[in-house]
Amino acid sequence: MAEPPPRSRGAIALREENCTVCMICVRECPDWCITIDGHAEHVPPEEGSAPNRRPRSTTVLDRFAIDFSLCMYCGICIETCPFDALFWATDYAYDAPGPRELIAEKGRLVDWLDGVLVPEPLDPGAEIAPEPARRRGRA
Amino acid sequence: MLPVDRWVETVERAVTDGFDFFDFLSVVDEGEGRLSVVVHLWSLRGRGHLFLRTEADGLQVPSLAGVLPGAGWHEREAAEMFGLEFLGAPDPRPLLLPDGFDGHPLRKDFPLAARGVVEWPGAHEPTEHGPASRPPGRRRPAAAGVPDWAGQTEEDGTHG
Amino acid sequence: MQEEESGSIDSPGGPAARQLSLDDGRTVALYNVPLPGDDRDRAGVESPHLESPHPELSLFNVGLACCALEVAAAVERPAATAASGMGRPVLRVQPYAAGPGTADVLVVSGTVTDAMAPAVRALYDRLAEPRLVVSYGACSNSGGPYWDSYAVCKGVDQIVPVDVYVPGCPPRPEALLEALRSLPHRRPR
Repeated sequence: MAEPPPRSRGAIALREENCTVCMICVRECPDWCITIDGHAEHVPPEEGSAPNRRPRSTTVLDRFAIDFSLCMYCGICIETCPFDALFWATDYAYDAPGPRELIAEKGRLVDWLDGVLVPEPLDPGAEIAPEPARRRGRA
Repeated sequence: MLPVDRWVETVERAVTDGFDFFDFLSVVDEGEGRLSVVVHLWSLRGRGHLFLRTEADGLQVPSLAGVLPGAGWHEREAAEMFGLEFLGAPDPRPLLLPDGFDGHPLRKDFPLAARGVVEWPGAHEPTEHGPASRPPGRRRPAAAGVPDWAGQTEEDGTHG
Repeated sequence: MQEEESGSIDSPGGPAARQLSLDDGRTVALYNVPLPGDDRDRAGVESPHLESPHPELSLFNVGLACCALEVAAAVERPAATAASGMGRPVLRVQPYAAGPGTADVLVVSGTVTDAMAPAVRALYDRLAEPRLVVSYGACSNSGGPYWDSYAVCKGVDQIVPVDVYVPGCPPRPEALLEALRSLPHRRPR
C-alpha cells in the first residue's frame, strides 16, 4: 500500500528536548486530550559566572500524554507550540482493543518522530510564510 | 436590525423583490437574555444575497412560515434550541430534541455537563505541587464553557 | 426488535430497504445492500488469526458521519493491494452485507447521537455470532469533537461491546484494513 504523504495526520510526535512544559498546547486543545506534568530543577551555575548570579531553575518534562481516542487531529497543539516540539507523524496503524490503550504516553510520542516525513518542497514561485514573530513586528 | 413589529412585512417585501430563495433561519444568543433572529435569502436571478435580522421581543417573535413555508422547519428547531416562541407558527411541535429534554442547548448559558465533570488538564501548573508553592495573586488559567457549579476544587480555597 | 424487508432490488424506487423496528416504536431504513451485478474486486485482509468459514469478511457499516466515506474508500480498492506475499490467506472484504444477520463485523463509523443509539444497539443484537465490532474514528471511540455535546453518546462502547478502536478524525482508510486484520484474536468474549 502506498505510504501516506508527508504531513498527513496520522499521529502526533513529540521532540522531547524541545518541550519547555509551557502548557500552551494543553490549554489550547479543544478536546482537553493532552496531559502534561513536570517539575522545576535547579540549574547549577556555570563555571566562570558571576558569584552573585541569581539562582536559575528549569522545568523538566515528566509526563506527556495524548488521548488519541478523543483527539480530533485538528493540529492546534502543533500550530501553537512555540518551540517546535510537536509534529505530524504519518503512522496510522495503532488501533487498540480498548480506549485506554489509545492514550499515548511520552515514549510512544517520541518513537513516532521516525514517522515524521520531510515536507514536500513548495511549488515554484510560492510565497514563503513569514515567521510568526516577524509578522508581529517583533523580529 | 429590523424592528420586530415589521419583521414579517419586511421579509415578505424582500421575497417579492426577488430574494425568493430561502436559505436558512437561525438565532443568535446576544447575551443578557437577548435573542436575535437571522434570515438568509438568495436572489437566483439577481445573483445576490441578503441577511435580515431582528431582535426577539423577550422570547417571542412572529413566524415567517406564512411567507416562507420552508422556514417553518427552521423555526421549529430554533424554538427548541433557544426557547423562542414563534407566534403564529402553523406547526409548533419540537423537531429534533428527544421528549422531555430539559433546557435549550444552543443558548450560551446552557451548561455543558461534560465540561463540569471532567477536570481541565490546563488548570494544572506543572511546577506547583500543592497550594503552598503558588505565587500569590497570580491569575489562574480557566477553560471556556465550564458551568458555574464546576471547577471549584479544594485547592482553589473556595471551600474555606 | 424486528427486521423485515420492504421492496426489492428490482423495485422502481431503487435498492431494497430493510426496515428495522426499534423498541421505542420508531423504524430505521437500512440501505446497506449490494447492488445487482456488482462483482467488483474489493479490498482484502490478510488474516493471520481468522479462521472464517466464509471466503469473505462481511461488513455491515453503520455510517453515521464523515468517517463512513473513509470506510467506503477502504473497501473499494482491489484485494491485490492488501496482499503482501507472506502466504497468509487473504479474505475479501464484502462491505455490503445484506443485513446485520449475515455480517461478520459491525463497523460503527461516525457520530453516535443519543437519538441513533437505540438503532445501533438493535443492529448489534441482530449481528451474527461472534458479534465483532469495530469502532472507527474519534466520534464512536469517545465522542471525539463532540465530547461535551448535549446530544452525542460518549463512545459507542456505552451501548455495545467494541473489539477494536481505530483512532483518527477521520482515520486513514488503510487503518480500517489494519484493524480488521487484527480483529479475531482480540476477541475478549
